[in-house]
Amino acid sequence: MPFTIPVGPYHPALEEPFKVSVRCVAETVEQVSVEVGFSFRAIELLAQRSEWVPDVTLIERVCGICSNVHAMTFCRAAERIAGIDVPKRALYIRTIIAELERVHSHLLWAGLAAEYMGFQTLFMEIFTLREQVMDLLETISGNRVNYGMNRIGGVNRDIADPKAAIATVQAMAKVIENDVVPAFMTSTTAKARMTGVGPLSKEDVIAWGVVGPVARASGLDIDVRNDHPHLAYQELGFKSVTQPEGDVRARVVVRALELLESIRLITEALRNLPPGPLRAFEGMPSIPPGEAIALTEAPRGEVFYYVASDGGRTPARVKIRTPSFVNIPALEAMTVGQQLGDISLIQASLDPCLSCTDR
Amino acid sequence: MEKHEGDTPRTELIAGLTAIPGSAPVEQRGDGLWISAPELDVEAMAREMKALGCRLVTMTGMARDHGETAIIYHYVLGHETINFKTSTRGGAIASLAPITHPASWIEREIHDFFGAEFIGHPNLAPLLRPAEVKQGFFREPEPGSKPPTQ
Repeated sequence: MPFTIPVGPYHPALEEPFKVSVRCVAETVEQVSVEVGFSFRAIELLAQRSEWVPDVTLIERVCGICSNVHAMTFCRAAERIAGIDVPKRALYIRTIIAELERVHSHLLWAGLAAEYMGFQTLFMEIFTLREQVMDLLETISGNRVNYGMNRIGGVNRDIADPKAAIATVQAMAKVIENDVVPAFMTSTTAKARMTGVGPLSKEDVIAWGVVGPVARASGLDIDVRNDHPHLAYQELGFKSVTQPEGDVRARVVVRALELLESIRLITEALRNLPPGPLRAFEGMPSIPPGEAIALTEAPRGEVFYYVASDGGRTPARVKIRTPSFVNIPALEAMTVGQQLGDISLIQASLDPCLSCTDR
Repeated sequence: MEKHEGDTPRTELIAGLTAIPGSAPVEQRGDGLWISAPELDVEAMAREMKALGCRLVTMTGMARDHGETAIIYHYVLGHETINFKTSTRGGAIASLAPITHPASWIEREIHDFFGAEFIGHPNLAPLLRPAEVKQGFFREPEPGSKPPTQ
C-alpha cells in the first residue's frame, strides 16, 4: 500500500526550507510534489518601490551564494535601457567576480554532495578550498557574501593586485585538479553512490525547461556564456562542459570540470585586465523610459531579468527568474522509480536555491 | 528536440512568428525580437514555439487598468530571445501549463501577484504568496506613495 512521507520544509536533509512530499510503494518512489514559498520576501515588489541605486543593494540580497550575479544582471538590464556602455576594465572585473562566485558556489555544493555521500574527508578538503575563495573575494571586495561590486555603469572597486589573485587561484587549481576532480570521477565510493541515480533524459530537460549544470549533465549544451555572449567571455574563449549520462554523477562531474574552466577564465582575465576607468560615469544614473531583458549564467544556470522604466526614480517593473525556479519542478521527473533513500542526494544534485526561488 | 539559431534563419523565424494567429509585426531590438500583440492566441503561440524548439524562459506580469494584467512571454531559441507582449482579457487568459511544463509555476506566481486567471491551469494554488497576504497584492499602491504604474 502506498504511503506518503513529508520531507521538510525544515529537515536535516535540506539546506533551505522547502517541502517535498514523497509517495512510495515499499522503498520505491511513485510520485513527488514540491512546495516552495517559505522564504518569500517580495523583493520584486520592494525593488519597484525603491530607487535605482539602493535597488542594486536590495537585489544583491536575492541570494546569499550567487548574490553578485543578481546585482550584475539588474545593472546590465538598466544599462541596456539607458544605452550605457560599460568600460572594458569593468567588464573584465565583473567576469572575474562572476567566476569566483561560481567557484565558491560549486565548491559549496561539492562539499555538501560529499557529505551527503558520507565522504567526510572530501567534504573537509573542499570546504578548506571554499574558505580560500571566500578570502580572495573578501580581499577584492571587502565582503565575504554580498560583494557590493556592481553599480549601474560599471563596478565600485578595482582589483588592486591581480598577480596575488592569480597565485591564489592557481594554488586552488592544483588541489581541485589533483584531489577534488579525481575523487568525484574515479573514487569507487562516489561512483557507487551516484551512478544511475536520479536520471533525467535530455528530452525531459527540454520538456521541463531545465537550465545550467543540470541541463548540461544530460547532454544539452546550453550556457548563457556561449549562447548570449556578454562581459568578457567571448574574448576569453569560454568552453562549456557537458556530460551525456544525466544522473547525479554526471551533475557532479559537470560542476567539478566547470571549476577548472572557471579558474582558467579568472586567470586569463586577471592576466589580461585592460587599463581604463571602472565606470561609465560618476554620480547617480538616469534611466529613461524603456524596457530590457538581461540573461547571465549564474552558478546554477540561466538568470533572467526583465526591467522596465517609466523614467521615474524607481523601476516600473523588476522581474527576476532564477535557475532554481525552473530546475526544482523537474525533481518530479528525476525521482519517480528511484529509491526513497536517494531522495536527499537527488534533490541536492539540483543544487536548489530556495532563497533565489522564493525571492 | 532543441534547435539553435543557426537551424532557423532570422528572416524565416520572423515570418513564422508573424504567422501565429493574433500576432503582430516583429520589432528587432538589441536584446532580441519583440512582438506586441494584444489579440495574440497564446495557445497557438505556445504550440508553434514548442514546434520551433523554443524554450519558455518565463512570463512577466504587469498591472494594467481595469484589473487587466499585461503578460510578456519570454522565449529563447539558441542565441535568439523572443518576447511576446499581450494582455489578459476580462482578467483571464489561456493557461500554457497543459502545453509546456515550465508555465505551471510561472502562472501560479502571476496569479499570486496580480490575480490574473489562467483558464485551463490544472492547479492555481498559491505558489509563493503567504496565506495572510491578499491575492493580487502587487497591484496595491504603497501606502502614502504614487499609484502603481499603469
